[in-house]
Amino acid sequence: MNNDMQKRLLLATLVSIVFFIAYDFLMPKPQYIDINKTQNSAKEAPSVKSIASDASVEEAPVVDSNIIAKVVSDNFDLEIDSLGRINQVYLKSVKFQIEGHSLPLFKDNVLKPLELRLSNKELNKEAFEINYVADREEIVLKNQPQRLVLTQNLSNLTITKTITFYPSGAYDLNVNLSEDKRYFITTGFRPDVMADALTFYGALFKEFDDTLTMIDDGDAIANQTFNNIKFAASVDRYYASVLYDIENRLNAVLLTDNEANPLIFIDGKQNYNLKGYIGAKDFEILENINPELTDVVEYGFFTFIAKPIFTVLKAIYDFVGNWGVAIILLTFFVRLILYPLTYKGMVSMQKLKELAPKMKDIQAKYKGDPAKMNAHMMELYKKHGANPMGGCLPLILQIPVFFAIYRVLLNAIELKGAEFMFWSDLSLMDPYFVLPILLGVSMYVHQLITPNNFTDPLQAKVFKFLPVIFTFFFITFPAGLVLYWFVNNIFSIIQQQIINKVFEKKKALEKKANG
Amino acid sequence: MKKLILFLLKIYQKFFTLIGFGSCRYYPSCSEYSKWQVLHNNSLKAIIFSIFRILKCNQLFEGGFDYPIVKRKLDDIEFKSQPIEIDYWFIPTKKKNQFYVIKNIFKKVS
Repeated sequence: MNNDMQKRLLLATLVSIVFFIAYDFLMPKPQYIDINKTQNSAKEAPSVKSIASDASVEEAPVVDSNIIAKVVSDNFDLEIDSLGRINQVYLKSVKFQIEGHSLPLFKDNVLKPLELRLSNKELNKEAFEINYVADREEIVLKNQPQRLVLTQNLSNLTITKTITFYPSGAYDLNVNLSEDKRYFITTGFRPDVMADALTFYGALFKEFDDTLTMIDDGDAIANQTFNNIKFAASVDRYYASVLYDIENRLNAVLLTDNEANPLIFIDGKQNYNLKGYIGAKDFEILENINPELTDVVEYGFFTFIAKPIFTVLKAIYDFVGNWGVAIILLTFFVRLILYPLTYKGMVSMQKLKELAPKMKDIQAKYKGDPAKMNAHMMELYKKHGANPMGGCLPLILQIPVFFAIYRVLLNAIELKGAEFMFWSDLSLMDPYFVLPILLGVSMYVHQLITPNNFTDPLQAKVFKFLPVIFTFFFITFPAGLVLYWFVNNIFSIIQQQIINKVFEKKKALEKKANG
Repeated sequence: MKKLILFLLKIYQKFFTLIGFGSCRYYPSCSEYSKWQVLHNNSLKAIIFSIFRILKCNQLFEGGFDYPIVKRKLDDIEFKSQPIEIDYWFIPTKKKNQFYVIKNIFKKVS
């Protein structure tokens, strides 16, 4: 019987380990999409009847474009090409650099931000043949915003794009046509630095009622329209190209490339003012440009918890200057808030220590009949006015918090490359496997000192192996997340130890008083 | 709907209770309570009562025995000549047509 039990236990453990490994294996890994494959699209003719009119977003013929102007600033370099588009943006700060080079946000041969397409076919064709002219070749951005004027003289139409660049990466745009012609202007194909299956990338719209609509790459439906939106953004995990007009709103239409990736086009007006931003999805930068833009940072389903958690984490970080320390302090504060609860639970656990012999009796008496055992156990607790269990609510509350921290670690550019002790990046897995092992050990110790009431003996045995399973399971998770759980366990253990000590002293004193 | 909820509860009982040390303060435990509710009440009511139960399941509340209460009119009772296996007892509360649901734990284990 005992032997059989152990076999089953071993089997269960093996099955769960295989399950977690397989799960991890099957989880989509970060992958870089070969953009060159997707690009013909922009050149093909996505003739679109859109926005309740006969207007259409016209095709863009294949044209070589040259760089006609440059914007140089401390944080980024930006290139304007002869089609009047933002051809490339290089992020220069050390954080973004790859092997000492500044980071280009866009792939070559993709739809570029501020490309303009006229609805009239012939006009559009002409527009792609005639180069824009810039009023200056180079702009050096210091503290003041600077203006660049791009002009395109078609035979019967003059298009003027006036762009005012700000050092933050934001810009104001004015498009002026000498005659009222229908046209569309784009945010461009999304930045393509970090697009992987773990997080969202594609098109993001904030509607007038502040709801967010996300169109994943590969899921876009051509000609879908989004009217009255606050902003339209093409995003990857960490970077974004945004066009916005919070007060007057935008009307956008989606085109698709041949892999069903969304391409955002904004419906233009003859004299059109709107604003934009290209760069990292840095909360502070976006907030300074316009607080409404902070919704570009998006954490998926758990955004409603992830956002406040990020705010708190950021506040702590601003104070201590290290994300690892900030995570530890966050855990500490969460425990501090829960302290009255956990204290009560731990004290009642101490009371129960005196009941231990009786509990053992019950366990022996109802061995093999878990339901009866539980019922009698509960009766015992009731009789002595103590209940050692933590309760389901604290556990269930932990789950979303945990996922939220996971998403913050994945999505927040601020935590990319967050160093802590000898870990170089808390948003990636621990390369030394130290944290997962520490997690397992702390979990084991925590289990030893925490009561449980498993009714199924098999479950109880699997429970004992849980630290091992979790060590393996969490090997590939962001180190920051493992750190959070590890520290949480440590705090639990310490708290329990302190309460144990206090009780022992109390008892010793009572004994003295009595004796 | 009921099947889905019962399935989710089963997954929860098999895996998530492991992480949470199976730490319910009540008998029946929150997941068992929800199961009994779903089995004997309409789904919406069952969900609402279960949510209240989970909210109560923390150290500010005493815990202990807390059985699901269902309303039911027992007017179509069928009497069988053979003795039947009892899964759940319906124990009347003080109010009319209201019953505690209590699982029969004295069943013979086959």
